[in-house]
Amino acid sequence: MTAAAIDALQDAVRAAASGGGRLRIRGSGSKDFYGGALEGDVLDTRALRGIVAYAPTELVVTARAGTQLAEIEDELARHGQMLAFEPPRHGPGATLGGVVACGFSGPRRAAAGAVRDFVLGVRIVDGTGEALAFGGQVIKNVAGFDVSRLMAGALGTLGVLTEISLKCVPLPRVERTRAIDCDAADAIRRCNEWGGRPLPISATCHVAGRLWVRLSGAGPAVSAAAVEIGGADADDAAPWRAIRDQTHPFFAPAVTGPVPLWRLSVRSTAPCDDLGCDTLVEWGGALRWLVPRAPVEASRLRAWAAAHGGHATLYRAQDKSPGVFQPLAPAMAGLHERLKRTFDPHGILNHGRLYPAF
Amino acid sequence: MNAATGTRGRPTAEAIRSVTEGLRLTCGDRVATGQAIRDQHGHGEGLADGALPDVVVFPQSNDEVAAVVRLCAAARMPVIAFGVGTSLEGHVAALYGGVCIDLSQMNRVLEVHAEDLDCRVQAGVTREQLNAELKGTGLFFPIDPGANATLGGMASTRASGTNAVRYGTMRENVLGLTVVTADGRIVHTGGRARKSSAGYDLTRLFVGAEGTLGVITEVAVRLYGIPEAISAAVCQFPDLKSAVDSVIVAMQLGVPVARIELLDAVQMDASIRYSRLDGFAAKPTLFFEFHGTEASVREQAETIESITGDHGGSAFRWTSSPEERSKLWKARHNAYYAALALAPGSQAFATDACVPISRLADCVMETQADIDATGLIAPILGHVGDGNFHLVIVFDPARPGDREKAEGLAARASLRAIAMGGTCTGEHGIGVHKLDALVVEHGEAVSLMQAVKRALDPLDIMNPGKTVPHAGPVAGRP
Repeated sequence: MTAAAIDALQDAVRAAASGGGRLRIRGSGSKDFYGGALEGDVLDTRALRGIVAYAPTELVVTARAGTQLAEIEDELARHGQMLAFEPPRHGPGATLGGVVACGFSGPRRAAAGAVRDFVLGVRIVDGTGEALAFGGQVIKNVAGFDVSRLMAGALGTLGVLTEISLKCVPLPRVERTRAIDCDAADAIRRCNEWGGRPLPISATCHVAGRLWVRLSGAGPAVSAAAVEIGGADADDAAPWRAIRDQTHPFFAPAVTGPVPLWRLSVRSTAPCDDLGCDTLVEWGGALRWLVPRAPVEASRLRAWAAAHGGHATLYRAQDKSPGVFQPLAPAMAGLHERLKRTFDPHGILNHGRLYPAF
Repeated sequence: MNAATGTRGRPTAEAIRSVTEGLRLTCGDRVATGQAIRDQHGHGEGLADGALPDVVVFPQSNDEVAAVVRLCAAARMPVIAFGVGTSLEGHVAALYGGVCIDLSQMNRVLEVHAEDLDCRVQAGVTREQLNAELKGTGLFFPIDPGANATLGGMASTRASGTNAVRYGTMRENVLGLTVVTADGRIVHTGGRARKSSAGYDLTRLFVGAEGTLGVITEVAVRLYGIPEAISAAVCQFPDLKSAVDSVIVAMQLGVPVARIELLDAVQMDASIRYSRLDGFAAKPTLFFEFHGTEASVREQAETIESITGDHGGSAFRWTSSPEERSKLWKARHNAYYAALALAPGSQAFATDACVPISRLADCVMETQADIDATGLIAPILGHVGDGNFHLVIVFDPARPGDREKAEGLAARASLRAIAMGGTCTGEHGIGVHKLDALVVEHGEAVSLMQAVKRALDPLDIMNPGKTVPHAGPVAGRP
């Protein structure tokens, strides 16, 4: 059945290639809000479903791209394991392919690494309809170009992901959340101070005058750290899932209303300048979610992010005319276009989703 | 056609003369054409046979590297980036002559951001130099492939080493790069932010490309707090499988061991003699190192000791003093020389492979049987937490057929790992020696890698003949 589904997918790509069509790769559609234009006929990946291989002793899971994240994470949890990058779902049907293509990582990102750090191998159908495999199922592989990691975050513009192998990790033995009342600047200062020390911090978040810190690991280390960082236990109110999936009230004006949501990725010590926005800070200061209180110029946010070593993404918006992603320098844009032409010479796949030009 | 040799010829004497003149205008007297310097730059470690570049140039800035690459592009002259020459698979051999860019004079640590836990260095900074310059910050750069390699070389080969279980490899630890592309432009990938830049993750593409897509001139990497407590332990096992099984259980429990190294009986025998490790037997052995707070180090060690005990391991031998610990790891790092000392007058080269950890014991034991059948000496050691192991193959260059036997053994080890669901190389890279194995491992996907190479280096001047086999365009691809 899967072989037939891949055949059908290859046929669809080949037909588009010869007929000048365009395809829009889609799983459940939970991330339709993300990225640039949605162009072309929908290429549904959900027929590519199921876990292909999972041997808990290997700490590696291989699943088809259309498999729901919930199914994968439930299966891992049954064996005491998890995906360390805590993938955001943004919807109940979210698929593995979608989260890898978007390059999304959740609250544990700063401690554990990003989705691309856990991608060991991929199978794709490229823009010529060819089915190809890169990387594999082992932890270390330096054979040839690292194409599998290039797929993470490429928004499907380089190929249709059909199967992905990911490294997984054991569930922490103990997990505890502490809450500390403080302002954002103080929170960022504290997080950066903790960052250089061997504390078992697995997530941080500052919102509405409160810093939340999650500790994960062996019992004694977590207990010792809880005392050291201070604050009070707050497990019942822990916001991690709500932040991961943006169901937290902070995001409501953007998720259910017309207000844009900006995502600024900056160095973790970037200051808390007043940018005219409500701010939620994750990843020890390295990730800032901004909900403007009044319209804010995109160029102002982008310049601020660039000045602090990063970039700004218009994560959710009704009006995407300012551009979703930070514009590329000319030499970088040239490299992007050459890579796009290599993988998708006819410009079929997710045209305009990453940058308007391709 | 052999995969390693394309149809490309060597530059003409006239081309070499004119490029050399241009290099002198750009870099003054930092241009060398003498035999000794060219000899030194024609090979890495491992097999001594190399291929000499025509010219060696020592640029001091990004702009100078860019100017050198533009000169070479105009003359279609090969460009080979060189750090300190510790790569193992022929990565720096100038197969078609050309210009070797020695980055050793680009050796400044540019920025250290202690609060952000990152730094930016020029490509010629070595890892020991970086750690020396980090003294006083309380931070360190953990990736340790053994050799005192440059950060540029480590990024280009996607190096890892003994610390990878806990800290990852260059792939996870490089935040951004400055790269001179094949048309001589300077690009910056990634940035200081944890989530790299917008667009494609070009950092990950250049990391591990072995200089075939561009020359890495600056590297930004993550740093880590020096652990409050470090301790090391050694445990010996009756057989290899017990040692590997212990590690599998430890990984399952998520014990964050910093290093777990396996030495087989042959290697242990060699290291006992060479590094004077008293009180050990020539048996399969695991070296452990634990990093963390006092409490967490104690807890990790107790957990591991109970696991190894369940698998027939000896009592832990502790080496908590820094001197003893350093002696132990020095012995591990000197494994290659210890192997060489087993047969005076011999040569040796190292090869590596990586398999799913459940197949590691099988793969190592089959490889041992293969070694026995060849009659060669080839100790096995490995970063066992990753399923990655190394073979140091010792051979006598004077004995007819010995070298062929050694190469055959290495090639079979690659194929065996691939057949077990692994890869022909977990950390040394493809270079020139493993191009055939790459094709076996990746099949059709190699043609897309070749297309990537053509897209980013259309003139095929960047370290030609490495990483992916030469090939002309394929129908349907640009």
